[in-house]
Formats: sequence, C-alpha cells, structure tokens
Amino acid sequence: MSARTQSSGLLLLTLAFGLALTLMPLPDALEPMRPYWVAMILIYWNLEGGRLRYLGQAFVLGLLMDFFTGTLLGQHALGLVILVFLLERFRNQMRFFPPWQQAMAVFVLLLNERIVQLWIILLGGHGWPVWTWWLAPVVAMLFWPWLFLLLDFMRRRQRLLRS
Amino acid sequence: MNIPDRGYTSASTGDLAGRTARLMVYVLLAVILMTMDYRGRHVEKVRGAVIGLAEPVFLAVESPFRLAASLRANVRDYQTLLAERDRLERSLRESEARLLLVDELARENTELRSLVDASEQLETRFLTAELRNIDLNPYSHRVLINRGARHGVRPGLAVIESEGVVGQVEQVASRSAKVILISDPDHALPVRVQRTGLRTIAYGSGRTDELRLTDLPMNVDLEPGDTLMTSGLGGRFPAGLPVAEITAVQRPSGEAFAVAQARPLAGLGSIRHLLVIELEAPGPLPGLVPEAAAEPVVEFDPDELTAGEDP
Repeated sequence: MSARTQSSGLLLLTLAFGLALTLMPLPDALEPMRPYWVAMILIYWNLEGGRLRYLGQAFVLGLLMDFFTGTLLGQHALGLVILVFLLERFRNQMRFFPPWQQAMAVFVLLLNERIVQLWIILLGGHGWPVWTWWLAPVVAMLFWPWLFLLLDFMRRRQRLLRS
Repeated sequence: MNIPDRGYTSASTGDLAGRTARLMVYVLLAVILMTMDYRGRHVEKVRGAVIGLAEPVFLAVESPFRLAASLRANVRDYQTLLAERDRLERSLRESEARLLLVDELARENTELRSLVDASEQLETRFLTAELRNIDLNPYSHRVLINRGARHGVRPGLAVIESEGVVGQVEQVASRSAKVILISDPDHALPVRVQRTGLRTIAYGSGRTDELRLTDLPMNVDLEPGDTLMTSGLGGRFPAGLPVAEITAVQRPSGEAFAVAQARPLAGLGSIRHLLVIELEAPGPLPGLVPEAAAEPVVEFDPDELTAGEDP
C-alpha cells in the first residue's frame, strides 16, 4: 500500500510541475504554441502507471486548470473528460505502439482536444485563434518521447529507491 | 511487482455503454458549469474565494522569474544605469512642467464647477502596479497584477497605463488582483468621441487589438482616426482618459445601426506597468460595467448620470 502512496506523491509532483509549466510566462509569439503539459502528463500516467483512469479524476483536474488559468469553469474539464474517454477506448492499442506511433496518437488526442476548445472559444464570442494556436499539438508530439522517457526514468528510480 | 495497475483495471474499464453514459453525465455537467459561469454570477463567489487559494501557487511559479530578474538587475553596468537615469530625469522634468499646467487647469476647473454648483468632486489616487509573470489563458482576457487588497485594491477600480485605459479590477487576493481587459467580449466601456462629443459604448471584441461600437445611428459623424475618451458615465472610470482610435466605420444597408471598429491605445497584448485609479465617488457605485453588456441602453439611465460631465 505504501508503494501506491509513494507513487501518488510522484504523480502529484509531476502534475504540479505541469501546472507550473502552464502558468510560466512565454514570449507572446510562443504563447499560443504552448503544449498542453497537464494533459500529456495525464496520458503518461494513464498509459504507463494505470492511474488517472476515471473520468471523474479528469474532470476534477480540468476544473483545477480552469481555476488557475482563468478560463470558463468547465472548459478544460470538458476537454480532459473527452480525452480520457478516448484514451481508455484505445488504451490497449496505444500501450504497445512504438514511440513515434504513440507520439502520433498523442497528437491526434490533443488535436481533438483543441477542436473541443475551439468550439467553446467560438461560442464564447472570442473570434478565431491565431494560426500558431494549432501548432500546440505538434509541439506536444515532438516533446512526447522525451517527456515519456523522463517520467519513466523518475518512476523507475523511485521504485529502485524504495526496494 | 511490475504490475502497478492491479486492482484498477477491472474498476475503470467497465462496459462501453456504462462509460459512454458517464461521459455524457460529465459533459453535461461541464456544459452546465460553463453556461452558469458565462451567463450568471453564481460562480463569481467561488472564483473570488479560489483566487485567494491560488495566490501561493502564482507566487511560487513566479519566484524563479523574479530571481532571474533581480540577478539581471544586479549585473547591469554602471554606464547603462547612468544613461537611463539621465533619460528618466529628463522625462520627469518634462512631466513636471506639464503638470504645472494641469494643476492650473484643475484649479480653474474647481472654480468653474463651484460657480455652476456642480456637486460631484472626484478625487483620484493612483497606485502603480506591475504585471505578474503568470500567463493566464489568452482567451480569458484577464491579467494578474502584483497589487491586492493589502495595497487597497478593490473590485471595480479602473486600471490604465501611460497610453490609455486597460481595464478594471475584477477579483482581489491579498497581494494580487485579476484585471479584466477592455477587449473582453463581456466588457462594455462608456466612451465619448473627442471630436464630436458623441457618447456611446465600446464593447470588447475578443481580440486585444480591437473594440466594437455597435449601436451608432446611421447618420453618425464618425471617421477613422477619431479618438475615443472615457465619458465618465457609470462612475467607474474618470472622464477624459484616452481609450481607442477609430479604425473603420461601416453603414451596412438594411441594418438599423452603423458599426465601427476601434484600436485600443493601450497595448493590451504587451502591457507591463499599470496604474490602478482609485476614485472617491460620491454616493454608491453603480453596477458592474460588464452588466451593461446585457443592456446597452444603460447609458441613458438617469441613475447612471452621476458623473454628468455635460453642462
């Protein structure tokens, strides 16, 4: 049981780090391209750790994102719930994809999330986003293998330290 | 030992129908929450409470950047600092000279006002503020400043920068505050055209470089290049602050009203240093300006004419 709580500590730490990366200031030109770090970390824990697989967890995480980034309450929650639903649907295939193919799948998931966001943004009366806004899933795809290796390394090391 | 997800597999991968049903419930919940947040003010209280909770997180995220900035300031060389000091001193002298004239005008204005028995006397107090190094979602049209309740910031205060109006304070934590920009689609600002004196309302467009004027009469005397100032109606903003410059006017045939676009004079996308204006207005403050968005005729409401800058 202590294994679980320890790994929960790491899980919360990585999510907090993802939130910090989300709030971190970026130059105006790069800002729209900021990858959705929290979603990527969630995908990792879902695929490799078997954690964060409930829709309710995704919903709460999304609400937290909404509170911190000042978006409409429920905007990130909606995106993440749909993302986790799709992820669960294709989880067994995705887990055994080679890295580049997994990165492609992450790209598709995040692109779908962007489309959900676009729908809300347009309904809210905020005009079309700049074209670089669509590059965020591409940037996320490029970062995915490295994020995967980093988180895997951290998880392995923690397991070694424990035993 | 290599199966960390034991026990979770059976619980979370129920049959597809059950999962879809749960998805629908959560989607519905999210949509309801968003609608409530967008339409009503039920969520405002929760948000206000949470900005206080979120503040430590903001401070923590910001701290490495503050450290970097202070390090950078420490290694600035002497010559640059001297040059900068000279430049600032010059600009201070110029501003002081200009202020002398303004003081004279203010005195004259008070005298004239006492002659016509104008009752309202707006005292203004300024508070300098800086943007926090936190990127909120660009579609929320809100920025975080480093002044809060501790420094006397209250919801509803006007926020400007050297070029023009920026927005108004929406929520306040102890050491930070969230400012809603005039470009937010929910924001409506009572303005006056400087050349003609025409009063109207400038709505946010959802883009930081555009405001919209939507309820203009067809025969309106308005041209690109005209400057919009705050009208002071609504009592939220002092009258006479520069707001925006008209960029285009359209008179679509078959429509009841002419529409115009304006470019905010304050660089809303790239602001750093701000001023929070505290107005000591007589009587109770009227409702939040965003509420005016739902009811554009609010500018003709006699209760709103407390600022009454027309003779």
